[in-house]
Amino acid sequence: MSVAPDYYVILSAVLFSIGVVGVIARRNPLIMLMSIELLFNAANLALVTYARAWTNNAGHVFAFLVITVAAAEAAIGLAIVAVTFRRMPFVDVDEVSALKG
Amino acid sequence: MSSALGNLPSSADYAALLPAFIVAIVPLLILFVDLFYRESGKWRRVVATGIAVVWLIVAAVLQGMQYPHDYAAFGGAFVQGGFSIVFSEIVIVATIATLMLSIGVGRDDQVAGTTALLLWSASGAMLMAGASNLMIVFLGLELLSLGLYCLCAMSKRPTARESALKYLILSSMASAFLLYGSALLFGATGSVGFAALAAATVTPLLALGAGLFIVGLAFKLSLVPFHAWTPDVYEGAPLPITAFMSVATKAGTLAVLARFAYAALPSDRAAAILAPLWVLAALSMVIGNLGALAQTDMKRLLAYSGIAQVGYIVTAFAGTTALGLRYAILYLAGYMFMNLGAFAVVALMARDGDAVVGLPRFAGLAYRRPWLAVAMTFFLIGLAGLPPTIGFTGKILILAASVGAGYAWLAGVLILGTAISAYVYFKIVRVMFAQVDAAHVRDERSPSALPWVAVAVCAAATLVLGLVPFTPSNVLPLVK
Repeated sequence: MSVAPDYYVILSAVLFSIGVVGVIARRNPLIMLMSIELLFNAANLALVTYARAWTNNAGHVFAFLVITVAAAEAAIGLAIVAVTFRRMPFVDVDEVSALKG
Repeated sequence: MSSALGNLPSSADYAALLPAFIVAIVPLLILFVDLFYRESGKWRRVVATGIAVVWLIVAAVLQGMQYPHDYAAFGGAFVQGGFSIVFSEIVIVATIATLMLSIGVGRDDQVAGTTALLLWSASGAMLMAGASNLMIVFLGLELLSLGLYCLCAMSKRPTARESALKYLILSSMASAFLLYGSALLFGATGSVGFAALAAATVTPLLALGAGLFIVGLAFKLSLVPFHAWTPDVYEGAPLPITAFMSVATKAGTLAVLARFAYAALPSDRAAAILAPLWVLAALSMVIGNLGALAQTDMKRLLAYSGIAQVGYIVTAFAGTTALGLRYAILYLAGYMFMNLGAFAVVALMARDGDAVVGLPRFAGLAYRRPWLAVAMTFFLIGLAGLPPTIGFTGKILILAASVGAGYAWLAGVLILGTAISAYVYFKIVRVMFAQVDAAHVRDERSPSALPWVAVAVCAAATLVLGLVPFTPSNVLPLVK
């Protein structure tokens, strides 16, 4: 018995929404980076689901590409968080606010 | 396209990718050569920059030779032709100018690393210029962005790290919107190629995917209301990197946006799907210029100016006319020269090429360094859209194209934005020509005269492009 692709797509949309709320609402840059990973992986789930639904392997290839890029992004993100907060007791984006948008 | 996965690429496919490949591989050579230097010194910097410039010129020439022929490489994933080459050449020129402005910035032993990151970013933008497939768009965009995150953090000022963190988080979110939009477009059509997208029937899923895709691009282009990150990131980043971001990111992203709008949407429904984009362009032209009014830091001011200028360029796409696209490319080339020229002037006014240069530092500049003041005035006249510069010619052509396409209201907003911007730019000119007591003004000079080369080249190009009766319809290409 298989589950219809629609449910996977709905799950990916829910994950994407949680990720967006996470980036916007949370103030800890590590949690924000995790939320960004959630965004990328929500897209991955949708890509793989559609690849199955259309029987087109391009979606699987795309998902592997995204996994690689997300890993590079996480590495750079953690490095930047480390240099930014090295001399601070907390990790909170409200602590770095010299630049006023 | 899935059918292409079964065929092996031919040598012509690799030849089409060669210029971008050279720019992506040379960083490894630069890093390797740098290993042989034990101590920091001037030569270490000269060698790294020299290798980069030589190979960028090689890539530019190789690419120019491919100009007349459009070639869809790798099963249509990467289309090399007139359109992609114009954008790639803009990226290469911006990269060379950035390397010129970088002389004197940062430590000598870091230069190989920053040069390598800069070239990787440039190769990402070049990939975007030719991308005709959702995967290549994403790959190019991330290659461009990942390098820039690191480059933004390459400064001793704490604001640089803050700007890198802001850029990283907000820009990654924008990439994720673009990616999720790509996934939905793939779901709606069953293909990642732009060609299949253009042939698809419009479903709500396709419209939603296209919407998310465009939001991601609008964010990278800093169109209002997705612009809030731009002034902060531009202010915090090292000056040469700000100059690079303001041109290369825009060129790469505009290439994707143009190809998406012109060649990837079903032609009968493109107008409806793209309608919100014109609203964003109108908002950018007004709010970008209004935001620039209040700024006293030159980098922030140029950031807001850039927001408005992208609004002008996107206006040219209105109605997706062939003429509009050509004028957009012409104006983008002109904007690059005016903007890089202004950044080069700012670089000449800072001792380490990375200081914060505020508006008060320009007070009475015309009496202390007249040539610099004249050059800055010329670039500001161009950005404001007055003759005899490409800023004027380009804007008139964009106005004509948008009125011709039936978007007279957008042309009206462009004129309104230009009127506001004249006040912004002439405020700086007035400050430069004001009589002030020189003792109160901090007068710093750049250690290198190299930015003068950039100033001269940019001024000449701004003037020549504006004066020569140029008919882009004969020279500039269309999206194939």
